[in-house]
Amino acid sequence: MATAPTSKVVREDLLRVEGLTKIYDGAVKAVDNVSLTVGTGEIFALLGGSGCGKSTLLRMLAGFETPSKGRIFLAGEDITNLPPYKRPINMMFQSYALFPHLSVWDNVAFGLRRDGMPKDQVSERVESMLNLVQLSQFAKRKPHQLSGGQQQRVALARSLAKQPKLLLLDEPLGALDKKLRETTQLELVNIIEEVGVTCVLVTHDQEEAMTMASRIAVMHEGYFMQVGAPDEVYEMPNSRQVADFIGNVNIFDGIVEEDEADHVTVRCAECMHYVGHGISGHAGMSVGVALRPEKILLTKEKPTGEYNWCEGEVTEIVYFGVHTIYHLKLATGKVIKALEINNTHDSSDGLNDGLTWGDKVYAYWSDRAMVVLTQ
Amino acid sequence: MNMISNYLRSLLSGRHLVIGVPYVWFVMLALVPLLIVLKISLSEMEATSVSNMVDWTHGWPTLKLNFSSYLFLTTDALYYQTYISSLKYALMTTAICLVIGYPFAYFMARSARHIQPTLLMLIMLPFWTSFLLRIYAWKTLLVNNGVINNILMSLGVIHEPIAMMNTPVSLMIGMVYSYLPFMILPLYANLSKLDIRYLEAAADLGASPFKVFCLITVPLSKAGIIAGSMLVFIPAVGEYVIPELLGGPDTLMIGRVLWDEFFSNNDWPVASAVAVVMILLIMLPMAIYNKYQSEQMAVKV
Repeated sequence: MATAPTSKVVREDLLRVEGLTKIYDGAVKAVDNVSLTVGTGEIFALLGGSGCGKSTLLRMLAGFETPSKGRIFLAGEDITNLPPYKRPINMMFQSYALFPHLSVWDNVAFGLRRDGMPKDQVSERVESMLNLVQLSQFAKRKPHQLSGGQQQRVALARSLAKQPKLLLLDEPLGALDKKLRETTQLELVNIIEEVGVTCVLVTHDQEEAMTMASRIAVMHEGYFMQVGAPDEVYEMPNSRQVADFIGNVNIFDGIVEEDEADHVTVRCAECMHYVGHGISGHAGMSVGVALRPEKILLTKEKPTGEYNWCEGEVTEIVYFGVHTIYHLKLATGKVIKALEINNTHDSSDGLNDGLTWGDKVYAYWSDRAMVVLTQ
Repeated sequence: MNMISNYLRSLLSGRHLVIGVPYVWFVMLALVPLLIVLKISLSEMEATSVSNMVDWTHGWPTLKLNFSSYLFLTTDALYYQTYISSLKYALMTTAICLVIGYPFAYFMARSARHIQPTLLMLIMLPFWTSFLLRIYAWKTLLVNNGVINNILMSLGVIHEPIAMMNTPVSLMIGMVYSYLPFMILPLYANLSKLDIRYLEAAADLGASPFKVFCLITVPLSKAGIIAGSMLVFIPAVGEYVIPELLGGPDTLMIGRVLWDEFFSNNDWPVASAVAVVMILLIMLPMAIYNKYQSEQMAVKV
């Protein structure tokens, strides 16, 4: 398992989870021996498909589920057995769970009133929270009178009002449409950073995780497959599953031929790979070579040299506007995907490099484009 | 011509028929009888029948409205007291049903999905036996030498039988017993739809389970509480069978007065007036509530 990079300053650990396990019905391990630490001010994302255990883990942090094993420490204090209403943790729920019978104001004030905060302080705090999310003029409205984006901001204000030590976000942008999501995402990160609260975020959307989080844990079947900074998880996946889950990837199966400290070569049925860095493996080992579509270049001229290229036939052209994805069928029958940016007008009609269906093309890539997957 | 035939055809279309049948049913069996009762209450009793409302003796129709029955209701304190006590018993029944029924419905809605149908069936089970039979059964339980007193005496808990029968106690037991399902069913329907995330969100924001219940669960189940209370309160006000069988001389209820006026005194106009006033007593609060509700809705939108 990769260790987290100290990409920013070394921070004090706020949340520490040790060997957390949740077993349902005596058999199903929803969360399997998970340990993690989250530093103060960090945004930590739990990323995975449905049923990977990310929500169960979040619900254990909030106190809605009791762990079968393991402990949860917040700022050094063991909170494993505290009920949710006694934890200095607040959560922004998926689809928000705003109280429908209360106004925006009362929703935000709900938590403060439970603490017995004096009236004038409550209104001061609610006002500043509503200012923060720019919803002061909607204070008297009921949640159903607001748009999705506004509801999301109310939910954020409500969960931040009590100044929690830890903020949990459950699919924070899941209920918004794509266009709104992009702007809201930035807004959300800005507010979180302004407040300086530590966050644990759950999402199935890799883009959301990568743009918002400082570190990502990729979850699968209840355990962490990889933990790391977004670029690390994307560029240096440690397994086929991670490579496959995060973004698009072409994986070539092959056998290590040369294993040197500064490079390795891998023989695959389709081509020979020359990887410009060493790996923790040995010659003769079966490996997968992961190659992202955007790192592949296409040309009609046959490349020289014996490494890092292959020939294919264009079978599919998928136009996305910004870029186009070409499906190439190789001699072995394997289909790989290559992404080309549409950087001129006429490249948008499927004529990038004059390419069209049925064309023979050569795909090539640099020796720093690949990741060798040993598991 | 074409328009008229089109109109007639549209009247006979499936949609109109489907809506029309219950409408006709309602007009024939609720509205018309109600108007007849209203008419009788404004008539005078003549030897064996009530007077006609429209008088033709002068050769032209004159409308004869006779308010003497309504005036009569104000002269005798019995009616006034009966209305008050009917409302009192109906309110008490509603309140007790709510207090017993709410936790019942709550735990039904929170229980495992696969046992909910069974619990629901247990609620309905009493309806499989005749209503009269069940009220009679209570009589054998509650009388002085009945099951309850006999057991308590043989256990030595009491030495003389407790007089429960023909008292407000026996009346309330019978009323609550009979109307409890009508409270539970709408509450259950409402509470089972309650989104658990609201409760979690409240707990997350620091509300103790008791506060969550008071501040979230109860307000969000308001519609169920109102529906259940209406279903209990309205029939309870006019209840006749239970006070007749389980009530006593002090448990005045309007249903029994109605019976007496109709069948003992044979004074149909007064009996009808009693009924009309009762309907107004029930309908006025409902109308006010409905108006208030729709105003609230208008504010919302």
